[in-house]
Amino acid sequence: MTMVVSCKHVTKTYQQGPVEINALTDINLDIKRQDFICLSGPSGSGKSTLLNMIGGLDEPTSGEITVDGERIDLMNKSQLATMRLNKIGFVFQAYNLIPVLTAQENIEMVMQMQGVARQQRNQLSSEILQEMGLAGMEQRKPSELSGGQQQRVAVARAIVGEPSLVLADEPTANLDSHNAENLLDQMRHMNEEHNMTFVISTHDPMIMERAGRLIKLHDGQIIDMIDQNHR
Amino acid sequence: MNSFHLLISLAWRNLWRNHRRTLVILFAMVLGVWAMIFTAAFMRGMSLQIVDDTIENMTGHIQIHAPSYLDDPVIEHSFSSANPLLSRSLQSTEITAAAYRIRVPAVVASERESIGLVMVGIDPDDEGQLSFIQSSIIEGHYLKDASEPGVIIGRKLAERLETRLGKRIVLMTQNNKNEIADRGFRIVGIFDTDLEAVEIGYVFLTRNLAAKLVGVTDDVSEIAIKVSDLKRLDEVVEGLRQQHPELDIKAWYELQPISKLMVDLYDSFHLVWHLIVFLAMGFGIVNTLLMAVFERTREFGLFQALGLKPGFILGQVWVEALMLLILGLALGNGLAWVSVLATGEGIDVSAFAEGMEMANLSNIIPFVIVGQDLLLANSVVFVLGMLTGLYPAWRAAHLVPADAITRI
Amino acid sequence: MTSSWTFAWRNIWRYPRRTILTILAIAFGAGLLVFSIGLQLGQYDLMIQNSVRIYHGLLQVQKEGYQDEPKMRSSIANIRELGEQLRQATGIEAITARANGFALVSSATRTYGTLIVGVEPKLEERVSSLPGVIKDGHYFSAVDAQEVLIGRSLARNMQLSVGDELTILGTGRDGSVAATILPVVGIYESGSRELDRNMVQMPLATFQDVFSMQGHGHALVIYHKDVKQLEVFRVQIQQQISKHNTLTVLSWDEIQPGLKQMIELDYSSGWMMYIVLVVVITFSILNTFLMSVLERTREFGIMLALGYRPFDIGRLVMLEALILTLIALTIGTAIGFAINLYFYIYGLSFSGMDELAKMYNMPSTITPQLSLQSIFMGPAVILIFTLLAALYPALRIRLLQPVVAMRKI
Repeated sequence: MTMVVSCKHVTKTYQQGPVEINALTDINLDIKRQDFICLSGPSGSGKSTLLNMIGGLDEPTSGEITVDGERIDLMNKSQLATMRLNKIGFVFQAYNLIPVLTAQENIEMVMQMQGVARQQRNQLSSEILQEMGLAGMEQRKPSELSGGQQQRVAVARAIVGEPSLVLADEPTANLDSHNAENLLDQMRHMNEEHNMTFVISTHDPMIMERAGRLIKLHDGQIIDMIDQNHR
Repeated sequence: MNSFHLLISLAWRNLWRNHRRTLVILFAMVLGVWAMIFTAAFMRGMSLQIVDDTIENMTGHIQIHAPSYLDDPVIEHSFSSANPLLSRSLQSTEITAAAYRIRVPAVVASERESIGLVMVGIDPDDEGQLSFIQSSIIEGHYLKDASEPGVIIGRKLAERLETRLGKRIVLMTQNNKNEIADRGFRIVGIFDTDLEAVEIGYVFLTRNLAAKLVGVTDDVSEIAIKVSDLKRLDEVVEGLRQQHPELDIKAWYELQPISKLMVDLYDSFHLVWHLIVFLAMGFGIVNTLLMAVFERTREFGLFQALGLKPGFILGQVWVEALMLLILGLALGNGLAWVSVLATGEGIDVSAFAEGMEMANLSNIIPFVIVGQDLLLANSVVFVLGMLTGLYPAWRAAHLVPADAITRI
Repeated sequence: MTSSWTFAWRNIWRYPRRTILTILAIAFGAGLLVFSIGLQLGQYDLMIQNSVRIYHGLLQVQKEGYQDEPKMRSSIANIRELGEQLRQATGIEAITARANGFALVSSATRTYGTLIVGVEPKLEERVSSLPGVIKDGHYFSAVDAQEVLIGRSLARNMQLSVGDELTILGTGRDGSVAATILPVVGIYESGSRELDRNMVQMPLATFQDVFSMQGHGHALVIYHKDVKQLEVFRVQIQQQISKHNTLTVLSWDEIQPGLKQMIELDYSSGWMMYIVLVVVITFSILNTFLMSVLERTREFGIMLALGYRPFDIGRLVMLEALILTLIALTIGTAIGFAINLYFYIYGLSFSGMDELAKMYNMPSTITPQLSLQSIFMGPAVILIFTLLAALYPALRIRLLQPVVAMRKI
């Protein structure tokens, strides 16, 4: 089976003043299609760094990262941007949406950049909003949406282009438990019904609970990897 | 095409995100552009006025003299007007009017005073098409025809001489034998102009009378010429020079180098002034755009995370700058246009009449907007503005994505 | 209140780039204003100096009405004695008498009508620089010498050189014919078109003789190098001539109203441009002040909660604006001053502007004026405008509600 993501001996060190900080040390990780992976660990354990690394937002100090069979650690900025545009959907903890665009425009933005025709865009965005339970919110600006709604729009935008991989960095951190559960339901739904691959970093025990695979990080190293799919 | 549409709508909405800030900088720009164009219109009005006054003031567009006349303007240095070659040259379609003159220094005396001035013998009809005199008569009448026996003098001269319409004055000048010739004339007309020096400096009579006084028949001191198209002035002068190498032929700006110098000075000041005003607002434009960019650091990080290329982000901020510029230019131009319309004939500076006279200017300065000045002002703002906008746009595009995103 | 200064200082440098751009904008305006006002005032000084020094004098005593209608008969009786009396009474040495007339002057080949001026040879040197610019020949040999001086342009037009004779034909004060033949002993070059082209000078005694003046003259010309002393002298002289109720004292700007008006016109149009520029700069930096308040809403909310009054915060914001502006003005003024100082020492010359300079009676090399007025007037205007700009955001602070403000991000 081909891997969506493959990390080999990935190491990241930051220079902070005179001190060298090991953010990630010798990470080896394979992510398969339709995985639903949860990265967990205390603050500073390297979850976000790993996520950023896979998304091509940050470069490894050493090691190889392959996304869909392509070595992204060898790509330049412009290639990385194209890779992100076409293969990766991002969901962040907050500030996911462009404030001057409506919910629908935010969702269509990526497709617009990909060159999807207007009619198709409209159709897809309407469908996904419907599916995410956001029907009727199309013309609202982010400031007119609740936190939970905003995150759902962010997920909708992340998946609408049918990327190979959705990366979510603490997507439920700013949500109450009801909204968090709702969001997780949507993500699992997309994972199961549309065969999408998710990598989520989180502190949220509920997400850890329902993840297919739980990867525990500590001080930049993978200390445990639990397959929960067949539990 | 899709992404372009996105770019435009993002830029436009971002421009009005902090509308107060945008309005403040827009106001600075509109005021700046207005100041550029309005001042340019004033300076253009001033220099056109200088040219007009110079040309109207007996100079015409071109003058023809005997070679040594300009250094030593006496009747000895004259040339024959009865030259068929010359007449043919002046029939050219590029020449709309030509006035033959006898123009020599003279002294005018009333019973009480005498004053030195220039005596000008003219052909009334031809002269009327060329210079100010016919339209400036305030008392009496213009020289009726070639047989008119009287003279026309300026209002101020009449005061100085303590004389008036209908009275006689004596004109004294040097004739072609270097003797003093004098004769009395009746004043048939009095003219009035803005420039006191003109009112006091000339006396007009028919060319026949002047010729008789100085002892010549068909000789003239100068021919003043008006051309149909000022843009072709140099070609016309060149053509005349080739046909008449024996004569001294000069364009107005060679005859009145000071007027030309003033016009050039105003012309070169346009760009200097535009650059100064642009600098004054340029700092504000950069500052405002930078504020907008730094506030949106997170957003630019997000754009990059979503896979939008740095070029798109640069373009977005640059288009925002472009929109601001276009708005500022449009409103500034509009305001300048309205204020020029509002000034009507121009501004009246007669409070400074004698100062204007010293600068050889009349008392009403019109505001004149010409295409070339508009183009200069607008392109200075546009080109420099786009260059200025590039800096904040570049800053926006080169924020490190991970950094921008994790800075939440 | 050292602490509020420190506080304001730190706030200014929170966004160094923004602060520097703002400082640059203000400094640019200040530098430009200092430079161009200094240059303008310097140019006016020279224009006035020149015209006063060459010929016209700082003050003139004339018969009332002579200035507007310069007629032979509007004359002052016993003018030399009156001059002497004024010199003694006021202590001003540079006072000389002149008489003006008009005549037809002829050389062997040319005839022109020109102004004829009678001057007191010894005294004229104290008042006018003309005796010092004789380029050919020499000045009058005696106070009653039968000689004339002419300008360079007139000499060229009339084809005259030193030693040639000049025939003068005019009308005397009593209406009689005034005619004489005098040798040209000197040719002067003043640089002023008018004087070089249209004036013949002769000793006053000779003039009075030729034009039947009987001791009369037309003007007493008073010179002093310090234009600022003008009013003092005017009063002194006014007192002396008060018993002659038909006499009047005129200052240089009344004698040459054109010059004065040209200066005023130039100065006021210059200021119109400056004000427009200052307003553009003000709006250009207004955003900095505005943002420094708007983006600190939360911070101000906390300060209000801590017991600061809106007035205190407003004062802090004004203080920040003041410090920022003062830094910028200091830099700008220093640069403008340095440029003017350079030109003050080395002179600023416009190439190819000699002709224009002659026409307006100004030297082709300009020295900027270095005075309190020329240096501080521009920056003062900018200070006023920028503080007005800072006032608007500072006043907005009064509208803040602590709880609402704190909730803002």
